[in-house]
Amino acid sequence: MQKVFSKVAMIGVAMVLAAPVQAELVLSQAWLRAVPPVSPTMAGYVTVTNTGPDAVAVTGAHTAIAGHVMLHDMSMQEDGTRRMRHLGKVEIPAGASVSFAPGGMHLMLMHLSRVPAAGESVQVCLEQADGEPVCGDFPVSGSAPSEP
Amino acid sequence: MRKLPYILPLLLVLLLAGCDKPESDLPINTRLGGEFTLTDQNGQPFTQSDLKGQVSILFFGYTHCPDICPAVLARVAQVYRSLEEAGLADQVQPVFITFDPERDTAKHLKEYLPWFKAGMVGLTGSLQDIRQVAEKYGVVFIKGKEEENYLFTHSDYIYLLDDQARVRKLYPADFNIEEVAGDAESLL
Repeated sequence: MQKVFSKVAMIGVAMVLAAPVQAELVLSQAWLRAVPPVSPTMAGYVTVTNTGPDAVAVTGAHTAIAGHVMLHDMSMQEDGTRRMRHLGKVEIPAGASVSFAPGGMHLMLMHLSRVPAAGESVQVCLEQADGEPVCGDFPVSGSAPSEP
Repeated sequence: MRKLPYILPLLLVLLLAGCDKPESDLPINTRLGGEFTLTDQNGQPFTQSDLKGQVSILFFGYTHCPDICPAVLARVAQVYRSLEEAGLADQVQPVFITFDPERDTAKHLKEYLPWFKAGMVGLTGSLQDIRQVAEKYGVVFIKGKEEENYLFTHSDYIYLLDDQARVRKLYPADFNIEEVAGDAESLL
């Protein structure tokens, strides 16, 4: 009986060790920039921390208020102009944080069904290459939330 | 010679009368700016002459821009409100010039800009006219190749103009609000 028990226990431990550890994304400092009600687009900002042991690729985002959300990067060119470009994915190394912030990477919400007002909060979900989307509440504000 | 004691105070009064409005230290930029004719948010012609008689905070952008442009609009509105609190807002005019006339019609600007509560004038026009005024202010804008939801690569300076519509100072998009408000006040 003891032998059977130890075999089962060993198999159990082996299964736990063999199971892939789910990468975990934690969202913080999330917000949407408040814009006029007739605005065709909105920008979203968030800090994404990968608490898992493996790198994670964020491949997109979605929210109920936008028909389409794109990952964008804004970069300063040598001639002083700013260029926006679409990102297919954003890699977040294990244990690292990546910030989507004004003047840099951001979520571009397009085809808005409505423009939420300042003070509202909207759920936005980030999509991963592997794994379930990670969702968070994005308060609508004229400026970034203050640091915790 | 006996008249001297009377003349000296008179000269002093005249000198002080000329000193009640100190000249701003901001140099006049002679390379940027100039004549233009565009259309304001009410569909009326708007020329460089309409900028005269007040200090202007002028900048370029487009309303489909999700990141930088609404941030700049909000910051300019903060400058305006700062001057409003000082009782100076009626002497300052924020002016937004779109480089996306296809989507930023006068009607759209009229609906979009009042939300910022800064008495902004919105200017649009033909692409050719906008390109001309952009060149006069050294503004570069390049339309993206996407057919739908196109974006622009663009420069994003903010221009402070005096009451003669002369450029007196440029600021980056993340300008300091107190600095611009202070500079604008120095030109009044």
